[in-house]
Amino acid sequence: MEDENSPNGDSPVLVVVVNDPADLARAQREGWYRIPLARAPARVAAEWLAFYQTGAFPAGERWAVRWLAPVRGYRLATRRELIPAEPEHLRAGDLYYRVTLGPLEPVEPPILSRRLRRITFIPTTLARLREAGEINDLWIKSSAQERLWSAIKGAEIEAERQYPLRDDDLAEHALADFALFGPAGRVAIIVEDEPRDEVEVRETRAIDYLLVARDWLALRVTREQLGADPGGLLKRASALAGIQLVK
Amino acid sequence: MRLGFVAKSIARPELKSHDARRWQNNPHLSVSLAYLRDMLLYLAHSRIDMYRMSSDLAPYATHPDMPQFHKQVAECAAELAAMGELARSRDIRLSFHPGQHVVLNSPEPVLVAHSAADLTVLASILDAMGCRPEAVVVMHVGGIYEDRQRACERFVAAYRALPAAVRRRLSLENDDTRFGVVDTLWVHGETGVPLIFDNLHHRLNNPDGRSPQAALAACLATWPAGITPKIHFSSPRTELNIEPAPGRPTPLIRPPQWRNHADYVNPFEFIDFMRATSDLRPFDVMLEAKAKDLALLQLRRDLATYAPELAQEMSAAPHGGK
Repeated sequence: MEDENSPNGDSPVLVVVVNDPADLARAQREGWYRIPLARAPARVAAEWLAFYQTGAFPAGERWAVRWLAPVRGYRLATRRELIPAEPEHLRAGDLYYRVTLGPLEPVEPPILSRRLRRITFIPTTLARLREAGEINDLWIKSSAQERLWSAIKGAEIEAERQYPLRDDDLAEHALADFALFGPAGRVAIIVEDEPRDEVEVRETRAIDYLLVARDWLALRVTREQLGADPGGLLKRASALAGIQLVK
Repeated sequence: MRLGFVAKSIARPELKSHDARRWQNNPHLSVSLAYLRDMLLYLAHSRIDMYRMSSDLAPYATHPDMPQFHKQVAECAAELAAMGELARSRDIRLSFHPGQHVVLNSPEPVLVAHSAADLTVLASILDAMGCRPEAVVVMHVGGIYEDRQRACERFVAAYRALPAAVRRRLSLENDDTRFGVVDTLWVHGETGVPLIFDNLHHRLNNPDGRSPQAALAACLATWPAGITPKIHFSSPRTELNIEPAPGRPTPLIRPPQWRNHADYVNPFEFIDFMRATSDLRPFDVMLEAKAKDLALLQLRRDLATYAPELAQEMSAAPHGGK
């Protein structure tokens, strides 16, 4: 019988992005990690932090989640208080969450990102972390999105989830819920609500034109459309990307 | 008029109301406040401006055998202030409603002491957050203990013994079986505690036969000027109850128990109630429905459809005490 004090599969985990090996070393040595309050995600609270190591880490350690730590507290502090050795830093007065941690545990096997891509915070669960085969398995979205992701993986299509489409011209929040990469091009599946008015329709079209200029094809669907026929959506997206679906 | 819901979000089940880990896993108020931050952002995004926080925000804060948890409120002064500022900036009214284990009128001094300790923690959280006086801790009179009048008098005595800072945050609600509005009004007369009117409880327990409008008006009048009163509104559950019956070929079918809350708020009951009380002092409404924020969002849609004047009142009127 499972120990009722053991963390359960639903325990929330926040995957944070570690751009500096010194931050991970500090987490291991001193038991805390900092998240700038101004850039904290909409969901910052969790029972565990997992650390995605970027290209700043040495070969063999980069582009993967390799460590996990239980959260003990979320305290607010200025950067100056957190890093007193840099009192004149440009952001010395900025507020951060100082997330106090228990001992770091290795994530076995590490959860890899197969493609060089921008990762931001990923809210997930302990169960999902333990079962993840790669980074894209960590996101938890609607059941319809999960079904589509399963179908994409089952078809062995090269794809990413929550893929940023950002560049200087695109809106900062332009994100593909699913990005498919095929011989005929790249397809961004964007799941959204119906546009509220003409202004939103025009803005959406403008973004889509920019995407086309950057060799993306946008396939916009509503949540209802996705839920009604994820298989049909996958066929359309695959056809646009030039991907032959194996029956 | 604000509409609020209680603690847990059904629309966003991944948003937790507090750090619910067991003591062995070192839960902490600061983690609860991080959950509260996430919830406040969701509330602001959904234009929901009233919320009852979990009374377990500070885990084990008064547990007599766990002193390691007793200083959390003092330790988290900065975090509490920040969350208070966040709630104020989004104009979200907050409250607490501790559970039935808080019984100020118990004849057992130990239970009264524990209850006072719990109320003190909740009041101190609201103070540390810098919440306006409208942020209250809602409680009930307690048990009858075979003598209703003595029970009320014990509540009054225990209330008077509380620190002023705690008394300032308390409010008293009529319950569905023991102490109706006639009783809470008597307690108000002795203590000045503002009263929360609960519509369903009043239907179930109305010893002096007061109309809902009259009971509501009396409760609203107990609130100080400049503070918007708050009421609780719910619809009774009307589904039949199916109970397994070991040894019988078919389960037992029982009628509903009216004190159980429905999943949603019956919009027509709500509209009739609001229209019948439209000449009274304005008040905010905490919805007690099992579907929580889903029920609130549905009621907003229903008001827009069936009572646009009420929907307009919700969206247009500035909140009292802003």
